[in-house]
Amino acid sequence: MPYTPEHDEVPNPLRHGLRADSAPEPCALVVFGASGDLAHRKLIPALYNLAVSAHLPAAFGVVGVSKSEYTHEQYQADLREAVGRFSRTKPIDEDLWRDFAAGLRYVPGAFDDDATFLRLAGTLEELDRARATRGNRLFYFATPPSTFPVLLRQLQKHGLIRPPGESRFTRVVIEKPFGRDLASARALNRMVLETMDERQVFRIDHYLGKETVQNLLVFRFGNTIFEPIWNRNYVDHVQITAAEELGIEGRARYYEEAGILRDMIQNHVLQLVCLTAMEAPVAFDADAVRDEKVKVLRAISPIEGVDAVAQRVVLGQYTAGQIAGNDVPGYQEEKEVAKGSRTPTFAAIQLNIDSWRWDGVPFYLRSGKRLPKRMTEIAIQFRKLPHALFGEGAAAPNTLIVRVQPEEGIALRFSAKVPGERYRPRTVSMDFRYGAAFAAASPEAYERLLLDALRGDQTLFTRKDEVEAAWKLVDGILKTTEAPDAPPPYPYEAGTWGPREADALLARGGRTWRRP
Amino acid sequence: MSLSIGEPIAGGQAARGWDELSIRFDDGMDLNKIRALLQEAKELGGSAGETVSAFNLVAIYFSPAAYDRAQAALEAAGRLHPCRLVVLIAEPHAEGDSVAARVSVVRSGGAVSLERVVLTAQGGGVRHLESALLGLLVPDLPVVIVWGGRPEGALLRRAVEMADRVIIDSGTRPPEALADVAAMVARGAPIGDLAWPRIFPWMSLAAEMLDVPNLREHRGNLRSARVICAGAIGAEGVLLAGWFASRVRKARVELLSGPEPDRDSAMPGAGDGTSITGWPSAAPLGRGQIVAFEFTAPPVTFTIRRDKAVLVAEVRGDDDGEVVNRMRLPPEAPGRLLGLELKLLAGQDELYAASVQAAVKLLPKSGS
Repeated sequence: MPYTPEHDEVPNPLRHGLRADSAPEPCALVVFGASGDLAHRKLIPALYNLAVSAHLPAAFGVVGVSKSEYTHEQYQADLREAVGRFSRTKPIDEDLWRDFAAGLRYVPGAFDDDATFLRLAGTLEELDRARATRGNRLFYFATPPSTFPVLLRQLQKHGLIRPPGESRFTRVVIEKPFGRDLASARALNRMVLETMDERQVFRIDHYLGKETVQNLLVFRFGNTIFEPIWNRNYVDHVQITAAEELGIEGRARYYEEAGILRDMIQNHVLQLVCLTAMEAPVAFDADAVRDEKVKVLRAISPIEGVDAVAQRVVLGQYTAGQIAGNDVPGYQEEKEVAKGSRTPTFAAIQLNIDSWRWDGVPFYLRSGKRLPKRMTEIAIQFRKLPHALFGEGAAAPNTLIVRVQPEEGIALRFSAKVPGERYRPRTVSMDFRYGAAFAAASPEAYERLLLDALRGDQTLFTRKDEVEAAWKLVDGILKTTEAPDAPPPYPYEAGTWGPREADALLARGGRTWRRP
Repeated sequence: MSLSIGEPIAGGQAARGWDELSIRFDDGMDLNKIRALLQEAKELGGSAGETVSAFNLVAIYFSPAAYDRAQAALEAAGRLHPCRLVVLIAEPHAEGDSVAARVSVVRSGGAVSLERVVLTAQGGGVRHLESALLGLLVPDLPVVIVWGGRPEGALLRRAVEMADRVIIDSGTRPPEALADVAAMVARGAPIGDLAWPRIFPWMSLAAEMLDVPNLREHRGNLRSARVICAGAIGAEGVLLAGWFASRVRKARVELLSGPEPDRDSAMPGAGDGTSITGWPSAAPLGRGQIVAFEFTAPPVTFTIRRDKAVLVAEVRGDDDGEVVNRMRLPPEAPGRLLGLELKLLAGQDELYAASVQAAVKLLPKSGS
């Protein structure tokens, strides 16, 4: 977000009308969990790519903090290798990397050890002197949620958190999962907001950094022709699918605790629901956009109690099967997964949104692991024709498909006449592909989100009330599905689109799942 | 008339995507045949599939050599912004009355993202070009003209009338030519200028200095500025000075020529107004290019100076007198500047319009 002047400040006369967004202010970024996968695969390559595109301030530095023993030099070498492997832009510009690496520091130590934070404070002061980072701090918690309390406590104790409004900023980026249920999310929010202001907190959901997800806002609110039909008068139902081919990939400990509801539904999938269903915000700023998303979450009819869950939720767990011709084990055969585990790896949910716009339009959500292919899409299924002019069943209802990944784009399915003498309609697809229309490579989600956090723009980050509203909805389901007497998830063979019971969920309304 | 498949044009794309078809007309023109050739070019990839176009990009040159120099930039920009590229090469003084058409397409993600039609007209054949152009434009889409000639004359005026945007490169001309540009801009001409994105790094770094928290207090006290060019005053220096003058109206703004650059690489391009390729790289510094930009808010002086490929911003007179920022100039790749200008497909860039108007007032008076 471009810098916004205080009310009594003279506006920057040289900023007016410049096409390029303002670069962020000088800053030191502190990554907790610096030796972890996220930092190596995503964060540091994203920062390097921001440097390539000249979006980083020149006065910038990164401090990695974790238990692993590295020197600054070893850490720099380790990250150079990671950037070489995971950067989206190649070859690596060695001059640029040298500039970037000159601002990399490493602080080894345990998070509950005061000495770690004393060293961190010293390193940040040294960076301020060496790189002119001017006391601005962005703390990135790339660590499990269990570490958040100790990190916040230590930052507070060592005077590393400054209140908002000072000329030097302090911000914190928190990775999901943000809590494991409503109570823990509320507790975490309370604790975070005891030490910081909401304006300083950036709860990250990397789905919101994806270009297509952002394009959904432009598609809906930057065109005149879609909004008039984007409602119960024209839309029959909405299907949102977030499918993964992969299993749990060695993350059994995390996944056994989380399951599909916490891992995907509470955050990524509900964000897609919000962006699909929300009203136009009054302005394109962080609070206006998030206000509308919260309204959607609050309008979703709660799914609580055994009957409601049985009617509107289907959970599944994959068994052994085949993905792309290869045998894969079942969930319970995965390493470190308990035999008899009841953790769901698939969920199909029917949401009803009690609002003027969406009343009577079911939103069907489907997400799972070990499904036939990796894809995420939103399909708006329009109503059937009021009168079958060309014969019953001849023309399928129109569908608008927003493909989030892969092959990001938008497709519209509509009827066209098959060439010939008779009027025989056939459904055809008009396909817009991002990659074809805009040859410029899209930035990675983490690039966009890191840049926004550095600029202080919270639009693509989730707010406290948004997180809690999402948890409230999922909590209602969890209370029933995790009760001791709850039935186990339905088994489904890896490489299929989930258990048959998920089909029944739609069949009750006379509908079927799309085959993406 | 002859029909042949020409040599593929180098460009790093799949060979099939660059197969070029050509046709020659010795007497009149038949646009249907060119359109059919374009369709055939699309089908060379297997099936025609979809074509994505956001606008019509029209480039006008007066010699094949001028187009050759600009070709890489045009195609790079065209790949970045899907379009139909129509190149008109007019050689009115050449012998004969022929028109030759070459067509090719580039695919991206399976779809045709660049359709290219190059019409070369000789002698009397030149009279066909204007009407041929109108028949080759994709309907309803904006028309952006890249002008490879002098920023003056009747032909340019006609181009301005039909186009949603006309892109010139005043950086390849003496700075005095900005006066013609300013006159057209004053009449509302939607002019874009490749010299303009060349000075973006200077402008954004200057703006950033005044966003630094402890330097914001100086915003209301800006008094003067000076732009120093290497060896001679160049158009980009004049534009930068004009930009500052248009932003801070009360400021006194000067243009100075400093020492000659170590290595004289001349103005960007060939200096004949035909290049749109921009600088071959961020360094070395060429004659007429900006070496330093200073502005003052007493007692503070803000300085941005070019140190090889890096802009270094410094502040003197403030409590925190130190280097506040460094910015690496982007490496110059063909089409980068054009790609930046193509982000605006219609109308005037208001900031450019204000800057060029202010810039001409700073030009030394002729004869002085």
